[in-house]
Amino acid sequence: MNVKSLIRRNYNKQPKVDFPNYKSSIFRAPKNKKISFSSSDSEILGPIFNKSIIGELDNNLTLNFSKNNNSPLGHKIIVYGTVSDQFTNPIEGALIEIWQANSAGKYLHDNDKNSAPIDPNFAGCGRCLTTSTGYYEFLTIQPGPYPYPNRGIEWRPMHIHFSVFGKSFGQRLITQMYFEGDPLLKNCPMVNSIADEKAKKSLIGALDTSRSNTQNLLAYKFNIVLRGIKQTYFENRREGL
Amino acid sequence: MNTSKENLDETPFQTAGPFLHIGCMPNAIKIKKLYQNDLGEKPFKNKNENELITIEGSVFDGNGIALDDVMLETWQCDEKGEFKEDSGFARFIPNNLTKKFVLKTVKPGTFKDFDGKIHSPHISLSISSRGLNMTLNTRIYFEGDELKNDPLLSIINNSNVNSLIAKKIKKGSYLFNILLQGEKETIFLDI
Ligand SMILES: [Fe+3]
Repeated sequence: MNVKSLIRRNYNKQPKVDFPNYKSSIFRAPKNKKISFSSSDSEILGPIFNKSIIGELDNNLTLNFSKNNNSPLGHKIIVYGTVSDQFTNPIEGALIEIWQANSAGKYLHDNDKNSAPIDPNFAGCGRCLTTSTGYYEFLTIQPGPYPYPNRGIEWRPMHIHFSVFGKSFGQRLITQMYFEGDPLLKNCPMVNSIADEKAKKSLIGALDTSRSNTQNLLAYKFNIVLRGIKQTYFENRREGL
Repeated sequence: MNTSKENLDETPFQTAGPFLHIGCMPNAIKIKKLYQNDLGEKPFKNKNENELITIEGSVFDGNGIALDDVMLETWQCDEKGEFKEDSGFARFIPNNLTKKFVLKTVKPGTFKDFDGKIHSPHISLSISSRGLNMTLNTRIYFEGDELKNDPLLSIINNSNVNSLIAKKIKKGSYLFNILLQGEKETIFLDI
């Protein structure tokens, strides 16, 4: 028979959930150890999203909210990359949803109390499904950094929030992409909740000048890796044992 | 799927932050028309109201405050214990006045997993929000079901195991509160 299991998550390469430098975590991060158990259909299977949900402009944040074809303020960027699993297999049909601040560092959200202006031509949300090679691409505006209350007022480095669904509920990922060279990266408590330097660096989109020079916009490359699923065959095992 | 050695690390998580609605549920805030519907509004589109159960609850922080800036996502099989790719997923947030979430869905059936083990009816639940550097995972089981042979519940040796079991309020109606911290902290899973 054929037993499938998700590769165990390596928590050394993940952020600490209980990380008081990020003040909001103090009363929200659970204190007890998580329970590990063997994967079942509940974790290995997952929702798959159909192409029909994706509109033509869903991955173009420079146009999907623009009024009378007015461009949002700020400089245009392309954010692109691949979604693969830990075995380097590309994942086709992965759903990526992104959200971000506008070029002034303001979110189109009632709870954003930052005094920066909203941009009437920019909502800051986009989504797409990866192609057969796991490829995705968004056309958007460089998000601004923004202040927020933490240990006093601190500034978030420029970032784009990513939500990703692969093929299984256990592959579900929510993360943020940062930008190469941002001086605010080194003091950000959310970034620093990841102790492992290589893991931290994997969240930084790399400036791709080859592409930037040919398309009059800056391009950043951000590859995403979701958990792998192991498949093991037990020849002499009877079902139910 | 593969049996070879893994050679890449999983991308690290980061908090979803307070503005996750923009990307995940724009219609629930003021960003209308961009997407026709928010994803996961109905986990089973073809079911009638009278075929559904209701699960209500709140997510409490360590101060006992019910939160309204969390996003919950659920994934489950249907009443026959079958997982279908295009149904069984729901995404919802607590009401900002009552601080309660309401999930209307079919009561999942039992299923036999890849390993041949029988699982009691349950719904997989994930919670993302500001202050959580990683998404949390847990399961919703149901009071009144046969639970003692479930492969997960039977390995938990902890009095808080009840945090995984929705309380039956009346026929077809359950209460499931989530406590992020404290003596009665909900059991979270390393899925
Ligand atoms: Fe943000």
